[in-house]
Amino acid sequence: MSKSEKKIVLKSLDNEAFEVEKAVALQSQTIWVMCEDKCVGNEIPLENVTGQILAKVIDYCKKHAVVDGDGDESSEELKNWDTEFTKNMDQSTLFNMILAANYLNIKSLLNLTCQAVADKTKTIDEFHTFLNIENNFTPEEEAQICQENLWAFDD
Amino acid sequence: MSFREKMPTSPKSPLRKRRSSWTGSWLNHPTTSFKQVVSAVIQAQSPRSRSKSLSSDFDFTDIDRTLSLPDSLLLKILQKLPDSQKNDLSLVCKRWLKIQGRRLRSVKLFDWDFLLSGKLVSRFPKLTNVDLTSACLNPPRKNSGILLCHKSISFHISSDSSNWDFVEENLLNSEMVDRGLRVLGRGSCDLLKLVLINATELGLLCLAEDCSDLQELELHKCNDNLLRGIAAFENLRALRLVASVDGLYNSSVSDIGLTILAQGCKRLVKLELSGCEGSFDGVKAIGQCCEVLDELTICDHRMDNGWIPALSYFENLKTLRVSSCKKMDPSPGPDKLLGSCPALESLLLERCCLNDKDGMRALFKVCDGARKIHIQDCWGLDDDSFSLAKAFRRVRFLSLEGCSVLTTSGLESVILHWEELESMRVVSCKNIKDSEISPALSSLFSLLKELTWRPDTRSHLSSRLEGAGIGKRGSKFFKKR
Repeated sequence: MSKSEKKIVLKSLDNEAFEVEKAVALQSQTIWVMCEDKCVGNEIPLENVTGQILAKVIDYCKKHAVVDGDGDESSEELKNWDTEFTKNMDQSTLFNMILAANYLNIKSLLNLTCQAVADKTKTIDEFHTFLNIENNFTPEEEAQICQENLWAFDD
Repeated sequence: MSFREKMPTSPKSPLRKRRSSWTGSWLNHPTTSFKQVVSAVIQAQSPRSRSKSLSSDFDFTDIDRTLSLPDSLLLKILQKLPDSQKNDLSLVCKRWLKIQGRRLRSVKLFDWDFLLSGKLVSRFPKLTNVDLTSACLNPPRKNSGILLCHKSISFHISSDSSNWDFVEENLLNSEMVDRGLRVLGRGSCDLLKLVLINATELGLLCLAEDCSDLQELELHKCNDNLLRGIAAFENLRALRLVASVDGLYNSSVSDIGLTILAQGCKRLVKLELSGCEGSFDGVKAIGQCCEVLDELTICDHRMDNGWIPALSYFENLKTLRVSSCKKMDPSPGPDKLLGSCPALESLLLERCCLNDKDGMRALFKVCDGARKIHIQDCWGLDDDSFSLAKAFRRVRFLSLEGCSVLTTSGLESVILHWEELESMRVVSCKNIKDSEISPALSSLFSLLKELTWRPDTRSHLSSRLEGAGIGKRGSKFFKKR
């Protein structure tokens, strides 16, 4: 295999191109299938991901590709890296990452980002404040649901 | 307002909201340029920014970003949240209520009206596992403070009850139960397991029409007539019948019911008969028809004498469990008519009275090929009764727990007989004593692959209490006094 074949170009929604090692890109099941089917050349257009998000996804894939490859770093260290990775992401990035991980079908990244959102919300009020979810229940409906929760126990 | 109006099956989607504001903006600005309309529409997409002026750069931070996720992704996030929040999640918004409702698979119902009104199945459309027994008991008398628990049923009873028919008294009538079943069947077609009390044949037939996948059924207060409906469940694999329960209710399953069951459920893998009447014929019919039956439990039986020989008709039975039986079978008939269960691997005796020698001899003879013998909390198992266990030909594992009359020599005489014994467990049998272990027994112990030896109840109890911290709390309490 020649050197050029080992590289692959990913093109984001806003036409930003990223050249990455094939091993890095193939962590995405979506890209893997595309390459497998030979339906694309060396350049893969990703129409659902912006450059800013794609850069982060590639960061993640690079990190995980290295570790899977030579096993230099312990899994402990990788875990810490993952925590750091999502810790300072703002909400918008986090949600876009979830969408991107889902689109690219990278299971571990999807798990990581979903967990990050879950970790930031602990109470009902936090769902409303942190996630800005509008409470569209009337007080009567709310009381009704509370009552129903008592009638049906999950065992 | 009816429930359906209150909780629409599809919560107001953001899409619908947007569409209305789109037309709204269009109509409200008929004369303005296209560009202005577009910016107005964009504004309207975020409900909270509607009040802001058109020109301002609105802030994206107060947008509900969960709206951009499809249900499947939102569900992934919800699954990461701790279980303790499960009920809270349904209170966040209508969409979450719906998603959360679709997650719930297993439910124990406490309010019958919740089912009858159709709210249970509309809120939890994906239920596979439903227990209705508690809901079938009418609302308890208030503040009685006495809770009666019996296996799967628990309910409050009044303190001044001179009349002990409280279950019959408080139980929903069969008509109501059947109506509930109809609603449940229509709403949850994925049902796999159901626990019921006081239903009738009609209710079962109705349910079977909609829930053809049902695999496991528990029928409390079961009778012969109810069993006529059971054949309708073609995929039934496990069945538990509870006919009479002493002190709670009386209901009768006889040979007629057992035969109907045998004819109707030929693919049963697991069967429990609790409080059932019947005799040799009924049990034999089940043995002959249910060819793939793997596990049979006989609990608190009221069968006529002579039923044990019928067990030899169960050709593929692997596990036989006899529990809570006051008698085995006082006259099982002549030994030479006793066959044996060809495939049997384990015999379990729990909370039984084992002083009836003829019954024990017959049972052990029928199970003589068993490899695992498990006897727990049985009374009347003296050395004589236990010596009948020499009938077992190839025991590999023996567990004795809570059998207080058996002595060390009684145990020794039997297990020295078993050549294939590999592991043994003796727990809480107070008449088996360390000091009485003979050299022959100790050399046998050294040959065993596995041995759990804790015959002394007291040491066992104290070691358990240590873990629970109960002993500690008690001592503090007494010091204070």
